[in-house]
Formats: sequence, structure tokens, C-alpha cells
Amino acid sequence: MSNFQELIKNFSKTREYVRDFFVYGFKTRNEFMDKSPRTYDNERRRLESWLGPFVQKDYVSGGFNISLAIDSNLLDFNPLFRVWKTKSFTDNDIVLHFLILDLLQDGRSLTAEEITDCLLTEYEAFFDIQTVRRKCNAYQKEGLLNKEKKGKTVLFFLDNTLARWLKSNETVMDALAFYQMAGCFGVIGNEILEQLEQSNRSFRVKHSFFVHTLEDEILLALFDAMNRRFTVELEIKSSKKGLVNTANCTPLQIFVSSRSGRRFLCGYVSKSKRFTCFRLDTIKHAVSLEPSPEYEDLQNKLERNRRQLWGVSFQGTERHHLDVLTMTLQVEEPGELYIVDRLKREGRGGDVTRIAENTWQYRREAFDCNEMLPWIRTFTGRILSLECTAKSVEQRFYHDLQTMYQMYQIGEHTNGTVF
Amino acid sequence: MELFSEIYSCYYQVLRHLLTCQSALTIDEIRSQICKEGFEESLLAIIPKLENGSWNLFEKNHNLYLSKINSGFLTPLSSLQKAYLKALLSDPRMSLFLDQEQFESLGDMLNSVEPLWRQEQIYYYDRFTDGDPYTDETYRNHFRTLLSAQKHRQYVDLDYNSPSGTRVHHYYAPARLEYSVKNDKFRLLALKQVKNGRMRLEILNIARIQKVCLTDKYFTSQIDLNALIQDSYYKEPLQLHIINKRNALERAMLHFANYKKNTRKIGENTYECLIYYNQAMETELLIEVLSFGPMLKVIGNDRFLASLKNRLKKQMGMMPPKP
Repeated sequence: MSNFQELIKNFSKTREYVRDFFVYGFKTRNEFMDKSPRTYDNERRRLESWLGPFVQKDYVSGGFNISLAIDSNLLDFNPLFRVWKTKSFTDNDIVLHFLILDLLQDGRSLTAEEITDCLLTEYEAFFDIQTVRRKCNAYQKEGLLNKEKKGKTVLFFLDNTLARWLKSNETVMDALAFYQMAGCFGVIGNEILEQLEQSNRSFRVKHSFFVHTLEDEILLALFDAMNRRFTVELEIKSSKKGLVNTANCTPLQIFVSSRSGRRFLCGYVSKSKRFTCFRLDTIKHAVSLEPSPEYEDLQNKLERNRRQLWGVSFQGTERHHLDVLTMTLQVEEPGELYIVDRLKREGRGGDVTRIAENTWQYRREAFDCNEMLPWIRTFTGRILSLECTAKSVEQRFYHDLQTMYQMYQIGEHTNGTVF
Repeated sequence: MELFSEIYSCYYQVLRHLLTCQSALTIDEIRSQICKEGFEESLLAIIPKLENGSWNLFEKNHNLYLSKINSGFLTPLSSLQKAYLKALLSDPRMSLFLDQEQFESLGDMLNSVEPLWRQEQIYYYDRFTDGDPYTDETYRNHFRTLLSAQKHRQYVDLDYNSPSGTRVHHYYAPARLEYSVKNDKFRLLALKQVKNGRMRLEILNIARIQKVCLTDKYFTSQIDLNALIQDSYYKEPLQLHIINKRNALERAMLHFANYKKNTRKIGENTYECLIYYNQAMETELLIEVLSFGPMLKVIGNDRFLASLKNRLKKQMGMMPPKP
């Protein structure tokens, strides 16, 4: 392990490891089948180095499990943001970063040649002009420096107005403290806060799913394509079988589940002439291809289709265009009317009707009623009937219920007691 | 615009702090700072670079390292960070923090910047529809008062309507403001003084607060909020067996990722998962477990198992199994 480096060049391999350790956290060294033992050892060592306080080791037969024990209820930050701060760099990168930015702090505009001279005279640091120019251009591209042309002369300068304004506005810092926990690309908010010497000590987030930050690089590429209205090519690794394939689509919207934190790209696949959702954590790469001439039409079409969507599936198992699910519930009035509130609040626009005293009905059309079953099951103990035009959905519901009765021995005689 | 870039790296952050120190540093002070802010093995990578001069950022004077950088050094914001801020300006919750003048100032400074994303590009398909009223003036005032009190450790005099309809009027010390993505609501994690000077943690919906006033009383004692939260966890975790069919293992692992949990393989296709939870969350957790149907089997604790069986018994009474 003499070549071990704490920092890394490429995020994608690490992304998979961190996800495996965090999400599963029960795999021993031998169970990382498709990785070499040496790779596993290096990745594990890096993970321990980056996330030390959150790494938990449990000894089991055949080795020990490494997992990330992160209780989001107890944290003011997402520990996995640290994984984004591990990019490797050269000696020149770090030295030029501090010296060039320090030199230009006072707002003066200098050419690459002048900067090179000043680095030598003011900091005793010798660099060739090409290296300095390349860094200045790279920083101009990143937005850290501005560039202006005066005749044939190219000048670089730095504008810190925004950073100073943010630092002096406490409520903006509060907003960043909140959004780094709760919003999209929280890692960026977290980095701005750190840069301005602030941290979050005011906000917590319930239902926070820290692991999904690992998909942010993919999300960035997708938003870029969506903002430019480009089609994309996606490289997708199936989560079930691990097979890799590619898909081309017009990216239209990001669908997010607030219950699992899962995020999906909803795109239009011209080949199959269908809207399809791709899980972000299965997308390995996303590359912009070409402008999509029908972008606005597709957006409108998606908007109309969304009314019949329950989750992320545009087609049910029985290939009907639309199915209807009707559930009748027993709700003791008035004490249990909070159940009716739940139907309205969580039922995604379904019709809620009182059909008799203490009896309420919920009805909704959906492309794929199968997706509704997890939510339907949360009303277990109150369901008087369930009907669906997709018979397989109905059958699955009753079959699963039957299995649960057996699993918990409900209705069986045990020791003379009827459950 | 790169998200994974060295300009955001932990090493740059550590170096910035070392370089903006007002005084010269000994190598031990440098080591201590790296240990505090860096990764566990950062010391091994950074110290040699400083000692051999590869990172020519300090002047060495005997045993002291003197920064070549001005202490007022401020890193400018990158295009990515500006685009992020621009996107936040359209978020409805932003008005809880910024006043009109701040909106305008920030908007002006980001005038030429395209937002990283737009609100309509994100769709929360399963979010509850009765989120908090972020544009309501009273709600905003309550939010700001509570945030100010939390930051200054100040007690508030609070008038509250509980979900059961009871009116509560009490002094509380705000400990944190908690946001729920699923409910799109803020709650207040509040400390309330009970007998013997002890503090109890209570959770209040901010939208249900009728009136809140700052008091001139400050909260001076040190309370470990996380210890209070952990104390509220039920003594025995929920013990589940996951049968890995229909991708249930991955779904369950992601679904319960926000709980403290422990998982191990116990059979060819079966896994055991222990979930630690707060008693107040029990009904919510029960509903989540039920949503998985027979893919999850509750083994314990006894109380949770009894609640689950009770629901199934009720269900069977309403809809007996088909013969």
C-alpha cells in the first residue's frame, strides 16, 4: 500500500463504494465480488480516512463489516459532503491558486505576463508564463477570475463583491445553512458556508437522505442539458443485475421522492415514443448530444400526462392505457377524520368521497396502479374493499395480505388464543 | 462548471486557514490544525509538502512558518456557486430569510448568471399537499423570531395550538428548526424546563404557533441536544427480517437510510436489520413497514410487533381471507 493516496482523480468508482458501504453496510471484503481485494482495501482505507467518525466496524464470521453509521436526526451537516472534497491536484495547482488569488485581492487588473512577474517579485515563486496563463484561463472559466480585453491585451482581475456581501448578511448565511441540509445540491451551499467561515447550527432535516448527494454530478450534467434543451445519452447500470446499457432521451424533469430521497430523470425516449424515468443512482454517465427541436411540446405533453401518474411509471403491467383503483375505508367519525385528511393530503389528487356513515371511498386513475400498493398498504386495518381495473394489482394486494396473515399467524389458533 | 474540483477540496480549505493566520506558526501548530480540519491521513500528505517547499506558500524563519498570503484573503465565488445562489432566489422558502432589499441586491449581483436549475424542473411526486404557508406574513415573522431566539439562546414566550386542539402557553428555548421534506413543514425542536431544573425536548409545528415573543431570559446551561434525542429512542430497536424479493433489500435500505440502523446477512436471501427510532415516530415507522407488505417481517420489539399484529387483526376482521 505504499502508493496509497488519500485524494482521488475520479469520483465515479468511489461513488459506488461509498454508496455500497452506506446503503448496505453489511458486505464483508469477500462480498465485493466484482472488485479486486487490493482495490477494496484502498477504497476502504480512503473511506475510513474521509469519514472516520462515522465508520462502524462489526466483526462477523468471515471478516468484518464496514458500514457508515449516520443518523441524520443528530447531524447539522451531511458527512458525505466530505467525499466531494477529495479531488487530487498538483503542487502547481495549489500554489498558483493561493498566490494568484492573493495577488489580485485588491481588484487590480493584470496580464498573465504581469502576474508571472509579480509572483516572482512579490512571492519569490517562479513559474513560466504558459503555466500562469493556463491557470488564469481555467479560473476565468470556473468564474473565480474575470477577463477583459483592452486592445490586444488580455487582463485578469478578481471581483469579491458578492463574497463580501454574503459574508456581511447574516440572514443569507442562515438561508445557506438551511439549504445545504434541505435543498438540491446541498454540497454547494455547504462549500460556500465553509468558504465564508460559517456553519449550520440552527437547522435539522427530518427525512433527509444523505446518500443521494453522490448523484449530484450526474444531476448537474442533466440540468445542463435541460437548460440548453439538449438530448442526452445515458450510460445506465442496472441495480438488479449490474448490466450496463445506454439510452438516449430528451431530459425533461427531475422527479424526487420525498419518502425515500430517490431521484429520477424523466425523459422522452424517441425510439419507443414513451416517457421513461431513469433512477439517478443507476446513471453512470450523462452526455449532452444535440438540441431537441420539440422540447416545449414534450414538456407540455409531460405536464398533461403527470395527472395520471402516481409515481414514476408510465405503463402498468397489463398494458392498459389507464387503470382505476378504488379503495373503501372504514373511518370512525369524527375521531378518525384525520384518515380522511391523509387521503386528501397524500392521495395525489384522487377523489375522496363519503359514501356512508363511517365509510369513505378513495378513487384514482393511474397509468400504473401497481405503484399505489405501498401507499394503499399503509391503511391496513381499515380497508373494507379494494378494486382495480388492473386485476393483477388487485390480486397482488390480496395475495400479499394473505401472506402477511400467515407470516404473523393471524387467524390461526395458537395456544388456544385466537389472534 | 465542475462539482468535483480541487478548488473545493478539503486540503485547500485547511491551507487557507493556515495561510490566513495572523501570526507565524510552528510545525506542531500546523499539524494540530491539519488534524482538526483534514482527513485522518492528511497529515502524511501535507506536512512533507510544506517542509520540502513543494508548496512554496510560507516563508520559513528558523522553526516558524510565516504565510506569504494576506490574512484578509477571501476566495471569490465560482460560477457554479453563483448559479446555485441564483437558483435559490426562486425558492419559495427563501422569503423566510431575505427581505425585499436583500432579494434585490442579490438579484442585481447575479443579474448575468443563469440559475443552475429552475423550480419547475423538479417535481416532488409524493410530497404532502398541505405544506407550510411560506408567504404568509405571520408565519414568516414567527419563523424569524424563532430563528433569532435559537441563535442567541433566548427563551421565547409561545402560544401554541396542538394537533389535538389543546392550547399550550409556555416558555421554550428553541434548540433547532427542523424541516421535513415529506411534509414540507418546519417544526421547532424546543426545550422546556420541567421539574428539578431538567429540560425536556418537545416538537412543535411552526404553522400551529399562534403567538411568539422573545423574552429577556437567556438559556445559559449546556444541554446535549443529541443526548436528549437519543434518550427518546425506544429502548429496543425495531428488528426486521428482509426477504430479498422484488428488489426489497435495496428499497428497504434506501427507504430507512434516514434512521440509525444495522444490517447483516442471516440467510441465503434474508437479511436482518435493526432500526433505532424515537417513540414519537412509531406510528410513522409502522406505516412505512406496512407499505413493504410481506417483504419485511417484523421480529421485534414486542410493542412494535403487537401494533402490527393488531392492524392485521383489524384488517382480517373487515375483509376475511378468501377461501
